[in-house]
Amino acid sequence: MAEASSSITEKFFLTLKSSDGDEFVLEESIAIQSITIKNMVEDGCSSSVIPLSKVDTETLIKVIEYMKMHSSTSSNEEEIENFDKKFVSNSINTILNILEAANFLDINNLLELCAEAVANRIKNKTPEAVRKIFNITSDFTPEEEAEIRNETPWAFEGNLDHSLD
Amino acid sequence: MDSASLLCLLNEDLLIRILSFLTYDSDRKAFRLVCKAFHRVDSLHRTHLQILRPEFITTLLSKFPNIYSLDLSICPQIDDSAVSILLTVGCDWSRRLKRLVLSRCTGLRSAGLELLVKSCPFLESIDVSYCWDFGDREAAALSICGGSLRDLKMDRCLGVTDVGLAKIAIGCQCLEILSLKWCLEITDLGIDLLSKKCTQLKHLDISYLKVTSGSLRSISSMEKLEFLAMVGCGVVDDEGLHYLGNGCPSLQALDVSRCDRLSSSALAFLIKGHPSMLQIHASYSFSEFPTKVIQGLKDLKNLKTLILDGAPVSESFFKIINFSCKYLVEIGLGKCKGVTDLGIFQLVSGGVNLKVLNLTCCSDLTDNAISAITDSCRSVLCLKLECCNSLTEKSLYRLGLHCSLLEELDLTDCVGVSDTGLHYLSKCTKLVCLKLGLCTNITDKGLYYISRNCREIRELDLYRCKGIGDNGLYALSSGCKRMQKLNLSYCSEVTDKGIEYLGYLPELYNLEMRCLWNVTGTGLTALATGCKRLAELDVKDCAYIDDSGFMALAYYSRNLQQINLSHCAISDVGLCMVMGNLTRLQDAKLVNLFNVSTNGLEVALRACCVRLKKIKVVASLRLHLTPDIVETLSARGCRIRWD
Repeated sequence: MAEASSSITEKFFLTLKSSDGDEFVLEESIAIQSITIKNMVEDGCSSSVIPLSKVDTETLIKVIEYMKMHSSTSSNEEEIENFDKKFVSNSINTILNILEAANFLDINNLLELCAEAVANRIKNKTPEAVRKIFNITSDFTPEEEAEIRNETPWAFEGNLDHSLD
Repeated sequence: MDSASLLCLLNEDLLIRILSFLTYDSDRKAFRLVCKAFHRVDSLHRTHLQILRPEFITTLLSKFPNIYSLDLSICPQIDDSAVSILLTVGCDWSRRLKRLVLSRCTGLRSAGLELLVKSCPFLESIDVSYCWDFGDREAAALSICGGSLRDLKMDRCLGVTDVGLAKIAIGCQCLEILSLKWCLEITDLGIDLLSKKCTQLKHLDISYLKVTSGSLRSISSMEKLEFLAMVGCGVVDDEGLHYLGNGCPSLQALDVSRCDRLSSSALAFLIKGHPSMLQIHASYSFSEFPTKVIQGLKDLKNLKTLILDGAPVSESFFKIINFSCKYLVEIGLGKCKGVTDLGIFQLVSGGVNLKVLNLTCCSDLTDNAISAITDSCRSVLCLKLECCNSLTEKSLYRLGLHCSLLEELDLTDCVGVSDTGLHYLSKCTKLVCLKLGLCTNITDKGLYYISRNCREIRELDLYRCKGIGDNGLYALSSGCKRMQKLNLSYCSEVTDKGIEYLGYLPELYNLEMRCLWNVTGTGLTALATGCKRLAELDVKDCAYIDDSGFMALAYYSRNLQQINLSHCAISDVGLCMVMGNLTRLQDAKLVNLFNVSTNGLEVALRACCVRLKKIKVVASLRLHLTPDIVETLSARGCRIRWD
């Protein structure tokens, strides 16, 4: 795709519209990191504005920042690494919003980055702390919770996910 | 954001993605306990179970619908009758299984194995390693798995001969991975048939077999073989490597460690035939490395791993590796002669990005070598420096400053390690495994720095660190909550108080505390009540622990699998309680129990003979134990080591 556009020395641009109604113009070669957008382009649905009803402006700005950094030919590995490091230090709410947007837009690298970032915030934490982080109240009865607390040492331990693949 | 909208955001797919980054059991458990949605996702995501008690199989498998991998290796009492009971309780569970681990299930015989294999029609992978009684009948039972089986491990199945291997080769022709390590009865004949029938094999381990170069001629015809391990094949000679050099077009990794009859020029010939190899392991095989052979290494442009422990190396070796092997990640030079500061400098200069370095016993190395490594290899993960006596705290300063990713560090017997050095090192906050055995200059203060900063540590070796006492263990128990494996043997300052602190390490799994004479029953009681996960305990020579401690152990440490009680003051009653009550105990070392009578030992062994897999007792007891108990133990697959 990128080769095709450079061979005729003309860049194609797309317009993305957030759920808040803000519009962002972006080079097509950058935007198609999103498989969702790529499919729309290939189906010819991208001539006008692409509405992203599930992504608010704040989140879309972050996603575009990420896509620009990761497509730009000038940024080297170290720059990308530093960018990612800074990127995941956003607040947990922002990360969760980006995670959902990445899921909707089908940007696999971003999805993995955010999922790992969320996992890293959970690591080494008690269930109570995890609930606080996610602002969740437990819906277990005390009996159910006690049962789960007690199950592990008797039933299984060790490394868990030994997939065959 | 309220909880409802957050759970809307995190649909099941996303939760599963997050969960896949949580690899530790404790994190997974916390995740499960958050709320029902998280619990459900964890149940769905779980594919593997390692079961401690067979009676839980059916309930667990109904709770976790996506389990396809089952590990029974640490279940006691898996024998033919247990298998038939499990299969009658519910027969559906076995049809889901693709992977089954029966390693060390020494009570199982061919009939039970056959029944099990027949009930699992979709098995792709099975592990029966260390079932030392297994022979050709069991091999025949395994061959029933047929064409679906891809992966078979049968290390140390001592009774399997060429006949058994032939059954498997003919029955399971789609095998891709096969390990026959220590199957000492297998000869060239069996390997020849295997190479003709199992043409899909990618990974083969024939270590320690008494096969000749003839086997390698057969193996050289295997088109798809990528990995071959032949450690300790003492009969194979250079001719064998010549066959491999001309054959095995897909070969990527080779282990020829401890093959006494090979010469390094044969390795050079093999390399010429396979320039795109990724891994070469050749520890303790070659007594010389002439320049001509070293020149041959030039071809290995893609090499990632090179292990040459014990070989003599020269300056030109380091230059050539540095120049040619740009993708090298791991190098093993343990006990190599000729490893110098200059050599290391040449090896790492110019941005070679090594991640794993074994420099054990390279005692000529000084801080300059470590500086060279820390300057070039910023992403080093594992560094083994045991017995590098000339290193000082400067090395630890460089490591702390530059190697923030370091996970594993072995400083055993490095006399230069001090408290200040540990202070510098504590900047390596990702350390998972740290070995400080025989570092006699470190004290509680050094351990305090490590405990405060290196919170990921899971394995710590303080063997014979005489400067370590209770205060150090206090720091450890409050900082390193993930500690799983700890060695405190001969840390003679440690008292009951220190051992009590260890009770606050919830994940402690393996504890070695030999010869702690200031520890009594009080300390052991606190440990047993606190560390519910304790599975391996070595209290050899702790002569002042009395029955009160062992009673507590018998009552609380229900997950104990291995114990060493040699030279302890345990009594008849105490031993009977420990052996009878701890229903997961499978391996016990019971040498020289001076307060235990022969009759007491006999009673204790009777109380647990159905579960034991291995015991060690004094040789003279052979005359005093009844033949009946000895026979019962052997019939159950228990090995008795007469010390």
